[in-house]
Amino acid sequence: MEILVAGERSPMASQDAVIDVEGLSKSFGEYQALKGLDLRVERGEVHGFLGPNGAGKSTTIRILLGLLHADAGTVRLLGGDPWKDITSLHRRLAYVPGDVSLWPGMTGGEAIDLLGALRGGIDEKRRAELIDRFELDPRKKGRQYSKGNRQKVAIVAALAGDVELLVLDEPTSGLDPLMEAVFQEVVGEAKQRGVTVLLSSHILSEVEALADRISIIRDGKVVETGTLDQLRGHARTGIRAVLERLPDAPDPAAALASAGVLLDVRLEGRKLAADVDSARLTEAMTALAPYGFASLTVAPPSLESLFLSHYDNDDDIRGTR
Amino acid sequence: MSRTAAAPRTAGGSALTGTRPLLRASLRQEARSFAPWIAAVTALSASSVLAYAFLFPDASDRKALAAAVGGNPALGLIFGPARDLSTTDGFNTWRSLALGGFITALMAIFAVVRASRAQEDSGQAELLASGVLGRSARLAVAVAQASLASLAVGVVSAVVTGLCGAGWADTLLLSATFTVTGLMSAAVAAVAAQLGSDARTASTLAVAVLGCLFVLRGYLDSMDFGDWVSWVTPLGWMERTEPAAGNTWWPLLPGLGLAVVLLVAAFALQARRDFGQGAFAPRPGPARGAVRSPLALAWRLNRGPVLSWTVAFVLLGVVFGNFSTSVTDLLSGNPAAAAVLASGAATPDALVASFLVTILSLAGIIAAISGVQTMLKVRSEELEDRAEPVMAAAVPRSSYLGAHVLLALSGPTAGVLVAGVVTALIAGTAGIGVGVGDVLLQAVATVPAVWTATAVSVAVVGARPQIRLAAWIGVLASFALTLLGPTFKLPDWALGISPFHHVPHVTAAHPDWWGLLWITLVTAAFLAIGLAGFRRRDLAR
Repeated sequence: MEILVAGERSPMASQDAVIDVEGLSKSFGEYQALKGLDLRVERGEVHGFLGPNGAGKSTTIRILLGLLHADAGTVRLLGGDPWKDITSLHRRLAYVPGDVSLWPGMTGGEAIDLLGALRGGIDEKRRAELIDRFELDPRKKGRQYSKGNRQKVAIVAALAGDVELLVLDEPTSGLDPLMEAVFQEVVGEAKQRGVTVLLSSHILSEVEALADRISIIRDGKVVETGTLDQLRGHARTGIRAVLERLPDAPDPAAALASAGVLLDVRLEGRKLAADVDSARLTEAMTALAPYGFASLTVAPPSLESLFLSHYDNDDDIRGTR
Repeated sequence: MSRTAAAPRTAGGSALTGTRPLLRASLRQEARSFAPWIAAVTALSASSVLAYAFLFPDASDRKALAAAVGGNPALGLIFGPARDLSTTDGFNTWRSLALGGFITALMAIFAVVRASRAQEDSGQAELLASGVLGRSARLAVAVAQASLASLAVGVVSAVVTGLCGAGWADTLLLSATFTVTGLMSAAVAAVAAQLGSDARTASTLAVAVLGCLFVLRGYLDSMDFGDWVSWVTPLGWMERTEPAAGNTWWPLLPGLGLAVVLLVAAFALQARRDFGQGAFAPRPGPARGAVRSPLALAWRLNRGPVLSWTVAFVLLGVVFGNFSTSVTDLLSGNPAAAAVLASGAATPDALVASFLVTILSLAGIIAAISGVQTMLKVRSEELEDRAEPVMAAAVPRSSYLGAHVLLALSGPTAGVLVAGVVTALIAGTAGIGVGVGDVLLQAVATVPAVWTATAVSVAVVGARPQIRLAAWIGVLASFALTLLGPTFKLPDWALGISPFHHVPHVTAAHPDWWGLLWITLVTAAFLAIGLAGFRRRDLAR
């Protein structure tokens, strides 16, 4: 399988979308869970699906899996209709739910084999290797597993199959940091094999480490989509500096801000804290250079700040674009 | 407790600390779930009173009723002995005592298990146990709640039945037997909840004890063993109060005593066991699985209940078979039945045959219960998010539901046939006028009716699972119409709503086999509704 490089895509690639959702709506009684959601996942990419609890991530995923019926909008999955083509599509994908519930009397090993067999087969070598790497005891009964271990059972069952698409809904909830690292490795390897991954999460470091592109969902709608770099381009970079001298003006802070490059300028003695549009970083440095730097830290916007900006300060972000 | 005894008892808390606030909160949540049970028992008792004067206005009608009841000993299996059917209260006692007690008992068992074991399974109990709560408080709440509900059954049914015109003294005693039966069953369930390591095992254990006692009580009552046998089972004690035929209150005392003894045992067991564990420690299982298809999964999920039901049907067959061998004696010893025979209105063979039809219908209705349980398991798998990963694999909805439907129909079929074979082997060789083949054929002829009663639950679970209780409509209608209906002189069309009304009497001169075709068409319609609905609806909603 050809592996496409993540990042900017040609219009050609868009015809090869593994997941293509447009205008998706879904209500449960009075409550509107999805309000015209758009989502595209290209072949071979790891797509981060970010949002807090209750934003509509799981509802979207359940519609993609044909478990819920969409009220409105078009949904294409692997070129098919997820509601109608259940068997043919599900043979090509694997799913890890965020809250795994196992059969109380069935061992983890049995559950892995059952889910694998129902999908149409399992890679024996990979199964053994994954059980080993995740340090899972497959002989325990479902009711004996802790939350993290139940999660591992589902992860092993999903990743041991030969599939084109992995749908992961907050897959690492309950995993300890060591196992989370193993999980990131394993998903990375799947990506190397050319597997497309939809990774829903609210753990930002995980998405930051794995995802090629990211969609941020808020209140039933995708509010932002792009590569991490693109998203960062919209956001501000933080600058912390100790200047060697200050502008010769009655209000030095206002003088620094007057160029319009530096935003949110806070000056405390010669200590400067300010934000800058990531795209205008050079301009900012040029503007500051005359005053000299005793020290300088430039922090690229973390995913966290991006995410928070959408949730705390949504109108403001929209205003700057 | 002993292990923690060394720790300083700081705040002076006891094992029951926190019981009161927890009970209050729990009652607020659960009270509504008791209403249907209370209503069912009340309706059973009050309806007898209302209907009696209307249906059996004069002495000759009442004599005919006594003859009909006496002429079919199978009814004694369920209702117990009919001591006096010539008064309203006597009739109500016959109709309600055993059954009302049984319904109250089921309510108490489910209430206790739900508030103790089921909470431990779901993790809710852990949240509570970490609060300021004595070790025994949760079990105390579970028992207290079930006891209050049992008391409510007694009070409400007594008041309503009394207002409907029954004698107060007789009714109070009758309703008191419901309450005491509920208390005993709550205690049984409290012990079962300590032994089983999850809610399902616990309620199976408690219901099995109740079921065995009920069948044993019916068997002993219907056989001519002598008067003392009713003392053998706790349910028999309730009968010994003889409401409307002497009103003896003291047999309620051993019932209360039994409840206290069982509760002491339950609290002792609870104090010794670890949280979330039962008496039987789980062993490691296989590392590899052999379950690889929806059907295999359905079997795996239900094999425990299916196998225990099958054992129950063997026992039921033994009871029915033994019972049948003495049916001719019972009939000739019954003056009412003898009068029917003497008048030439029925031949002994016909009475025996209708007896067989009744007990096999009873077996069929019990079997349908197991079928409905299998279908309701589909719903609980769905709600507990276990159906989701299965459906996310390459399993079409029709095969997921289809596998469970297949099991829900074949399990009860096996049950009825097992009961039929055992009954046939015992009854058919006893020279009572029916052959092994007749009994077997009758059992086979009962099967399509079992399917219809079960298929109602397929339609409900498939298309409208939110109205979960509706899944029981098939079983309830069959029971009410086929076993209770005839004594109420219901018109034929009403009786015909029950699928068991269409089961042919195979030993009749011209058995009417057409009925089976009609009810099979109805079955097919229910199955189609269920499958179509399941394919269309949202999962886990």
